[in-house]
Amino acid sequence: MTFVADLTEQLINGVTLGMVYVLLAAGLSIIFGVMDVINFSHGELFALGAYFALSISGALGVGVGFWTALVVAPLLVGIVGVAIERFTIRPLYGRNPLYHILLTFGLVLIINDLIKLVWGTQQRNLGVPGYLSQPVGVAGIQVSLYNYFMIVFAGALALGIYLFLERTKYGMIVRAGSQDRQMVRNVGIDIDKYYTLVFGLGAALAAVGGIVLGGYQSISTGMGNSVIIPAFIIVVLGGLGSFRGAVFGGLLVGIIRTITRTYGGTEFGEVAGITLSLPDLEGLTIFLLMIAVLLVKPQGLFGNPEFQDEGGEEGDLLTGADGGVFTDSVRMKLGAAAVGLLAIAPFAILLTGNDYYIILLNRVLIMAIFALSLDIVMGYTGLVPLGHTMFYGVGAYVAALVMIHYTSSFIIALFGAIVICALIAWIVGSLSIRVSGVYFAMITLAFAELFYNAVFKFQFTGGSDGLLGWDTFFGIAGIGAELNGINLLIAGFEITPNIVFYYTALILAVASLLFARRFMNAPFGSVLQSISEAEERAEFIGYDVTKYKRRAFVISGGMAGMAGGLLAVKPSTFIISPDQTLAWIHSGEVIVMTLLGGMGTLFGPMIGAGVFIGAEDILSSYTEQWRLVIGTIFVLFVLFVPRGLVSIPSLLVQRRQSAESDSPSVGFDESEVNTHD
Amino acid sequence: MTETVLETNGLTKRFGELTAVDHVDLEVEKGEFRSVIGPNGAGKTTTFNLITGALIPSEGTVRFNGTDITNMPPHERVHHGVGRSFQITNVFGGLTVRENVRLAAQSMYGDEISRREAMFRDKDSFDELTDRTTEILDKIGLRDRADVHADTLAYGDQRRLEIGLVLATDPELVMLDEPTAGMSSEETHETMTLISDVLSDQSLMLIEHDIDLVMRVSDRVTVLTRGQELASGTPEDIATNEDVRDAYLGGARDE
Repeated sequence: MTFVADLTEQLINGVTLGMVYVLLAAGLSIIFGVMDVINFSHGELFALGAYFALSISGALGVGVGFWTALVVAPLLVGIVGVAIERFTIRPLYGRNPLYHILLTFGLVLIINDLIKLVWGTQQRNLGVPGYLSQPVGVAGIQVSLYNYFMIVFAGALALGIYLFLERTKYGMIVRAGSQDRQMVRNVGIDIDKYYTLVFGLGAALAAVGGIVLGGYQSISTGMGNSVIIPAFIIVVLGGLGSFRGAVFGGLLVGIIRTITRTYGGTEFGEVAGITLSLPDLEGLTIFLLMIAVLLVKPQGLFGNPEFQDEGGEEGDLLTGADGGVFTDSVRMKLGAAAVGLLAIAPFAILLTGNDYYIILLNRVLIMAIFALSLDIVMGYTGLVPLGHTMFYGVGAYVAALVMIHYTSSFIIALFGAIVICALIAWIVGSLSIRVSGVYFAMITLAFAELFYNAVFKFQFTGGSDGLLGWDTFFGIAGIGAELNGINLLIAGFEITPNIVFYYTALILAVASLLFARRFMNAPFGSVLQSISEAEERAEFIGYDVTKYKRRAFVISGGMAGMAGGLLAVKPSTFIISPDQTLAWIHSGEVIVMTLLGGMGTLFGPMIGAGVFIGAEDILSSYTEQWRLVIGTIFVLFVLFVPRGLVSIPSLLVQRRQSAESDSPSVGFDESEVNTHD
Repeated sequence: MTETVLETNGLTKRFGELTAVDHVDLEVEKGEFRSVIGPNGAGKTTTFNLITGALIPSEGTVRFNGTDITNMPPHERVHHGVGRSFQITNVFGGLTVRENVRLAAQSMYGDEISRREAMFRDKDSFDELTDRTTEILDKIGLRDRADVHADTLAYGDQRRLEIGLVLATDPELVMLDEPTAGMSSEETHETMTLISDVLSDQSLMLIEHDIDLVMRVSDRVTVLTRGQELASGTPEDIATNEDVRDAYLGGARDE
């Protein structure tokens, strides 16, 4: 086959995949534009469409079934979308978009687990009518008819949506809403009613994408997870809220992905002794492209240049800092008591003769430091890094590489992790902080994905297996001992390497908290708090807001790097692989821990980390569907306890007080309070 | 001999096709109370934003005490002595009144706080800063309310705090953006009294559309229409200026 024919074939494949992205990104983009909702569950709605189609075509047979499914399944998913909007997202309007992340992250866990529960985890194939899967040859180019069908069908649908947005009254209101919501309200239109429509429509579009892709490749429970990040990239690349941007970006990313997959690493020949080859950049290019585009054109390729954060309308972040019922001295005593308990915990655990809970606590301590680091940026500067796990992951890799290649001293390894991560934070922060909150979130996500994909590519990072096999020296400059060689007997208790690690992590966690508390009460931290209160005002009393935010981000990045670096100190317990450290799900998890515990309190997120990991451990021992349960807990939390666990004492006090003042409802309220105790 | 504090030369700002501010030349002298008036769309707020740094001009320069500040970000202008108040009260609502003022004062002590101190020393342990905070609280009459959260203050007290924040940054020129918008005549009177009491040592530039108010308080008045300077002079000059009467005052009185 000639190169040109081959390239044309790949281009057609690229456009085919691109059309799926167009359907996904169009919905995501409109939802974001109109409602400010960053919908992480969009990928799961996409998967849900494919699974509904699977059942429908299974019941009706491949011929009729496929066509019926193509109509009915998107409608069903549309209804699911409407229900999600009505019952979970609607109560959150007016709050900061951050809460949508937590909510839709919970929905990801719920929908994904429901899919596994109903349809099982093995890969499935969606039958396509035989006449659609015939290969068609035109001028030596062999492509299945199904490709052309996908392009035409999705293209027609996209055109329909475009006409709907451009030519109808509803479409006009939706477009106006994505430009300036307040203005639409001012002219007397109840834009909120359209939210349900928009969300349902976006969900249905995603479902169509899932079905056509299901017929093209196959259906698996991971399909939503694999498309959601590219879909976000497309939306940002094309311009938030821009339909044209979603179409252009979708096709571009589809083509780039197909071409880099096919030709990445291919050698084209030699010129003057130098081998010409295309670097193998599959998975990296789209993130590099997005970063490049945002640096040149922060509003995206087709974005509205006047687009800005609607400062006035953006709801407050509900930090847990206000209205605490405990005085400072009580809080100090509670904190000291908690540290005291943690200090003797290993001995209590050892009495049971089971090492397992020490390993679990070790994870908790590492995640507690990670969550604390996130709180410094999220709770105190209002910036939401969607890719914070880049520091956690890079920290782990740096520490491991230092110990493999340079010195096995864990102190130097941790120091290296902190320095490298702080440096990366400085670079990422310099590129993104001055633009705006949404772009900061997206650029950090892109960088995290860049690192995630990069470690697969290189030999020295060990690819998908990650890094294995090194010894940790517990000390520095020859003074100390091999961590795995430590085995002491003190007062009848066996001091294992796990326990040594436990105390190390505990000391670092407490030190990190004290450090953060210290600078929050110093001039530097006071400025951070003024920024989170009123950013413009802080600028106009003379603070370089961008510089302060960047510094906070650098501190946070270094601290997260230390948390990740700790993983490498105990290689026999923790796995340093891309999926365990750099996958986007960890960025989501740490945001959840922070909100769960109570953002803006420093200690709250650390409690959140403990509760999260504890709940995960307990639930997973009882049921396969623990993600379903934990996802439901997040959704309920975000709806009813938005200030986090640390706000529960004051919520209880409030309830008791209102119960005392309104005597008729005493019985009801009292019983509610008791169930919480 | 009078000294020029603020000077703009050919100041111009275009938004696409629209020229919001068109070659405006202003000179504000030390100690002067200057007002800028004009009908809606005259370019008052854009001029204000160009001077405070919220916008960067398309053409022309802004000089402050002889220094070119045309392209400086707002926070640097504050350090050069250009302060501003907000039309909608904009204070740190979740912090105490004292902390609000202390933050504004701290911003001016930046050079005297070392990097280490900025990270590790208690923010309330800087004596000079504490004294300065107390001094400002006395001036704006909020010392007895210093430990309450700013968002629990009554509206009038929030305005006081707003002025206090500006004062704490020790400005030479204070830019005031319609400080009495939406106020009753009594509140307007109180606010203007507060401004003339507390900011008596500063040069002031007031952006306003209430002509009567402007005529009462200003040393000099500049009238803008369609982005251009129509006239500048004392309130008496402006009141008798034919162009101003035709183009602006007449029209405004008909409304």
